[in-house]
Amino acid sequence: MIVAKQKPIEEIIEEVKDSKKLLILGCNECVTVCEAGGKKEVAVLASALRMYFMNKGQEITIDEHTLERQCDHEYLEEIRGNIDQYDAVLSLACGVGVQFMAEKYFNIPILPGVDTCFMGATEERGVWSERCQGCGKCVLAKTGGICPVSRCAKRLFNGPCGGSTKGHCEINKDVVCGWQLIIDRLKELGKLDDYETLAPIKDWSTERAGGPRKVVREDLQA
Amino acid sequence: MPLQKKIKSGDFVVLGEFEPPKGVDFAPFLKNANQVKGRVDALVVPEMGNAVLKASSLGGCAMLQEAGVETVFQVCCRDRNRLALQADLLSASALGIRNVVVTAGEDIRFGDHPQARAVNDLDVIGLLETLQKLQGGKDLAGIELKGSPTYFMGSTIDTSTPGGLLEIELDSLKKKIDLGVEYIITNPVFDTRRFQQFVKRVDTTQVAIIPTVLLLKSAGMARYIDRNIKGTSIPSEIITGIQKAPDKVQECIAIAARITAQLKEMGMAGVLISTVGWEDRLPQILDEAKLS
Ligand code: SF4
Ligand code: SF4
Repeated sequence: MIVAKQKPIEEIIEEVKDSKKLLILGCNECVTVCEAGGKKEVAVLASALRMYFMNKGQEITIDEHTLERQCDHEYLEEIRGNIDQYDAVLSLACGVGVQFMAEKYFNIPILPGVDTCFMGATEERGVWSERCQGCGKCVLAKTGGICPVSRCAKRLFNGPCGGSTKGHCEINKDVVCGWQLIIDRLKELGKLDDYETLAPIKDWSTERAGGPRKVVREDLQA
Repeated sequence: MPLQKKIKSGDFVVLGEFEPPKGVDFAPFLKNANQVKGRVDALVVPEMGNAVLKASSLGGCAMLQEAGVETVFQVCCRDRNRLALQADLLSASALGIRNVVVTAGEDIRFGDHPQARAVNDLDVIGLLETLQKLQGGKDLAGIELKGSPTYFMGSTIDTSTPGGLLEIELDSLKKKIDLGVEYIITNPVFDTRRFQQFVKRVDTTQVAIIPTVLLLKSAGMARYIDRNIKGTSIPSEIITGIQKAPDKVQECIAIAARITAQLKEMGMAGVLISTVGWEDRLPQILDEAKLS
């Protein structure tokens, strides 16, 4: 899933301070799972902002709503009927949702309430970590199912650097060495031969080198 | 006279574009440079134009400086992060290179290594700020330098962008001037009358305009540019002129010389003559354009 975290409240206040009627819009998918922008976070943030502006003696109406997804035309259409009454929307969806909203509702400022961080997994409640950077050409088959792009600090493709100590990465000893994980798993799978073969030089054209990316499936297009 | 001084004095400057080799044989590069030494004010060394791998601008500049030719070092955002850019800029200064032109660089997908990862850590504006910082004696992290560089800062501009986009180019030019850009090199000019329209919109007391004169090599090349390069049109007389000429190469040289002379006449600060592989013909263009 996409992992995000809520922006510092001061930054959010700065974004919405000129609004008279604000909609805080949550998303029921990834940001709900990582507890950054779901229904619950919308409610908590709305009351914090109401409190703040009330103390300042500033009048502002803050409404709350959470959509099933903000990256889908169908769900975004749900609010078309009543969006015009707001002078701004604070979206707690990831950057994709914020932009998709902004594309659809072109004349209303759509402001981000979270910082979108990475594609990752929930390790335990309150801990999320990165697993994939969407490089567009997955090498996991050769690397024991562990991604050298997102999990090795140097994005190495041919084994660890000299800085790997006791399974930890040289950039930070709280970070596990991606290559230690790869080797351990290849050993377990009896596939250490994969480690011996040289990885071809990575083709980054499917990452961002080729500009903004798109997946088109003609068979699915209407 | 150093380039900066000459531009400031209002004298017409002549720059040549010298692309470093794809490989390590710099002999023709240096031979051609020696032929124009003393006849051009400086040689501009592109940094992998069109994202095609070549030896670097810094390398080419270092070779030329050593041979006693003033150079213009091209720094490009595409391939280097802020560490590498600053490192090269410091080295350049220590090698005696003062003239720096910053560019964004064409996208990697247009070049010969489309699998490469683009860097674009800084944009052109950020890179100019970096130059300012270095000149002020500190690096981007705010740490004091041992000896600070001085640069004569330039940039590029695309004058052929249509309508609204040109506004954007001009807005960005203002920002560049505020950040210390003193000269801008344009895309190739073939239609001087149309180019004049662009010149009118720039305050030339603030920034020197150096148009590029591109040496055409054939009528086919001219037609290709005319049809395929957005915003660039080549007057039909030029194309038919090449077609009809008994000595086509001579005609191409004459065209470049003529445009150069016209731009001088128009009061431009100078020209950059780009000969794309025909650097050995640069002296002939200079002769025809009656540039010493
Ligand atoms: S190799 Fe690429 S696609 Fe596969 S997990 Fe890593 S970043 Fe994601
Ligand atoms: S220590 Fe491991 S994870 Fe860190 S950079 Fe080196 S190989 Fe990559």
